[in-house]
Amino acid sequence: MIASPALLPAAHPPVASLPRSGPPVIHAERLEVRYRNKLVWKDASFDVLPGEFVAVIGPNGAGKTTLFRMLLGLHHPSAGQLTIFGTSPRRGNYRIGYVPQRHTIDRETHLECDKLVRLAYPGARWGPGDRFAPLRWGPRLRLGAEREAAASALEDVGAYELSSKPLGALSGGELQRVFLAEALVGSPDMLLLDEPLSNLDLRRSRELVETIHGVVQARGVTTLLVAHDINPMIRCLDKVIYIANGKVATGRPGDVLTSESLTALYGVRVEVLHDSRDNIVIVGGEDERGEEGA
Amino acid sequence: MTNLWSGEPFSWNFVTDLREMLAFEFMRNAFAAGTMIALVAGIIGYFVVLRRSSFASHALGHTGFSGAAAAVLVGVDPVYGLLLFTMVAASGMAFLGNRASNRDVEIGTVLAFALGLGLLFLSLYEGYATEAYSILFGEVLGISTSGVVFTLWAGFAVLAVVAIIYRPLLFASLDEDVAEAKGLPMLVLGLAFLWLLAVTITIAVQIVGVLLIFALMVTPAAIAVRLTTRVGTAVLASILIAVSATWAGLFLGFYLNAPVSFFITGIIFGEYIVIRGLGVLRESSYLQAVDAPEPDGVRALRNAAITAALSQVLLVGGLVALAVDLLAFPSAGFDPGALGSHATLAIALLVPGAALAAVSYLLYFTGFRKLATSSRDFTPPAFLTLTGILGLLVAVSGLGLFLGGIALSATGYALAPVAILFGVPMLGLGLVLSVIGLYGQALGSWRVGLRYREDELRSGAVLMAVPVVGNLVAFLGYRRALARGSPPEPSGRRVTPS
Repeated sequence: MIASPALLPAAHPPVASLPRSGPPVIHAERLEVRYRNKLVWKDASFDVLPGEFVAVIGPNGAGKTTLFRMLLGLHHPSAGQLTIFGTSPRRGNYRIGYVPQRHTIDRETHLECDKLVRLAYPGARWGPGDRFAPLRWGPRLRLGAEREAAASALEDVGAYELSSKPLGALSGGELQRVFLAEALVGSPDMLLLDEPLSNLDLRRSRELVETIHGVVQARGVTTLLVAHDINPMIRCLDKVIYIANGKVATGRPGDVLTSESLTALYGVRVEVLHDSRDNIVIVGGEDERGEEGA
Repeated sequence: MTNLWSGEPFSWNFVTDLREMLAFEFMRNAFAAGTMIALVAGIIGYFVVLRRSSFASHALGHTGFSGAAAAVLVGVDPVYGLLLFTMVAASGMAFLGNRASNRDVEIGTVLAFALGLGLLFLSLYEGYATEAYSILFGEVLGISTSGVVFTLWAGFAVLAVVAIIYRPLLFASLDEDVAEAKGLPMLVLGLAFLWLLAVTITIAVQIVGVLLIFALMVTPAAIAVRLTTRVGTAVLASILIAVSATWAGLFLGFYLNAPVSFFITGIIFGEYIVIRGLGVLRESSYLQAVDAPEPDGVRALRNAAITAALSQVLLVGGLVALAVDLLAFPSAGFDPGALGSHATLAIALLVPGAALAAVSYLLYFTGFRKLATSSRDFTPPAFLTLTGILGLLVAVSGLGLFLGGIALSATGYALAPVAILFGVPMLGLGLVLSVIGLYGQALGSWRVGLRYREDELRSGAVLMAVPVVGNLVAFLGYRRALARGSPPEPSGRRVTPS
């Protein structure tokens, strides 16, 4: 269902700088997912290469978060094969940093940002893991290393000056930066970001995407980012995973975000329009189903 | 109507009052159990507030009511019925699912049924009124010696488990989804927390009863999180609030003709009102502090230096007076009630001296923390000063245990030697930690001197080894640094806000 290279509009060349080579870090083959025995999507085959910046796009309830939960080992595929870093997904994989869509943090959380980031420092396991980590149960022994890692993670996302502010006092964008630092503090090889841009306006979305892109480039982290709107990140993307209508289309943004490819995905006529500032508007598809546009 | 002041009101001579009160075994039992309960409730309460499980903790108490009533009916100590029922209810809540502790309607339904069941059990029992009264509202003055032993063991068990699972529990409570993805055993942690809560509620019911459990389990921690954003400090504040309210409640309950539970809940309510009121002021000043933390920090340090100098004058004077007293009247011994006039003078100097020292430590800590937002050089001094604050608390507790033990040993109370045994090493450890805090203050002052190029301040930092003098010199240095307004050239790795 991916459009042929001949149809490629050259409007959005990725500004990527890292070499995307080596064996894929995520490999999915004829993957099928059910949630409470209901089919979510099937027949998904795609690879994500090391260092790629990937957007996971699709309407509400299409199964984007479910993909993340599978990669985290919290949900199991009903058919097909999924490997991450060469093995099957498992819970507590220290190589993945995760920012969920909802946190149990709100205005009433009177706790310093710094503490949240430091708590996420790896080793939160029952005992030594794959990479030997000090036991994090009871008194902390390697206070210095933890503090350094938290400070550098906060600094990398431009949130160092928020360190001693209470979580409950932050704005939506500031909070997302702190969550990003929380995910980065264990030096993961992959980041899974679930809707970091929701509740942000277009300008703040772009700023946050720039921050994310900058830090993952610097640290060489493969990144998957779930979003409704592809426009804030269009210049950074290496790959798009488009989930809709129980199907998954994957490829470079120029390949997937075409009228032909999305029409094939949705099964109804879909048009992809470009404005003069390279923004993309997708017409049809979800409108036909009464869902919000991508 | 009974008069509140009937009986024998206290004499305002605190030492005499304390001795008179502690001469009764039931009061000693009440203090021992009450202290442990308040300590444990203050810690567990922090997690209750963080996990938003205050309603669940309230409900667990009510479930315990039916358990206690059932135990009374079959002739067992109500504590065991309480423990059984709260543990079962806690297990149910844990297995119901992740955020089960927030399911208000389900919990409320079970709660009402449990209370009704308890009522049925009590109506089947002969001594209906008094038993119901003590379970519902607490009867700490009636706690038996075996009850105290049970409370102490249960409290130690809770403290031990918290010490082990503290970190993962904190993370799981704060950020559930990430903790789950990181592979933390969420069910085990949830179950462990609710069991700890059940045990804590079981022993706390003895003081405040199932109906007033909220005051001891939730409110101290709720006050504490409004005072500070640091976890350790908040837990400490929560403990201090719960313990001090319990002590004051027991003291007032002994001398005045009203129930202890009333005084405890009343004191905690009063503190809550004050903190909520101050919170409004603090929020408005907090924003200003973020805009200009550095001058604020230096101002706090200047005040810290002069306070420290003053406190050292009092402490040195007090120690000299004490030494003179001990040399002049060697037979007087250590008993504070029997000390002569010199000792009275010594205490009059030492107590405010220690209080001022605590204030100066706090001010130093605040100042270094504010400067730490500009330069990370000030994080270690802040941390060391915080260690010193802890040291002061440990030292004061140790001294209290020691003096209390001495005073009680005359009455032949069995726990008096234990108090002395624990008091002496605590005093020693506390003093060592306090000295570490002093080192932190000197280190931080030295670094402020470097940052502001104030040689006077650096001399003051070195001179802090000498009481009074060092802090006086540092005070002058801080004053000049404050007059400069900002450091000559900014240093440190702080990223300026865009």
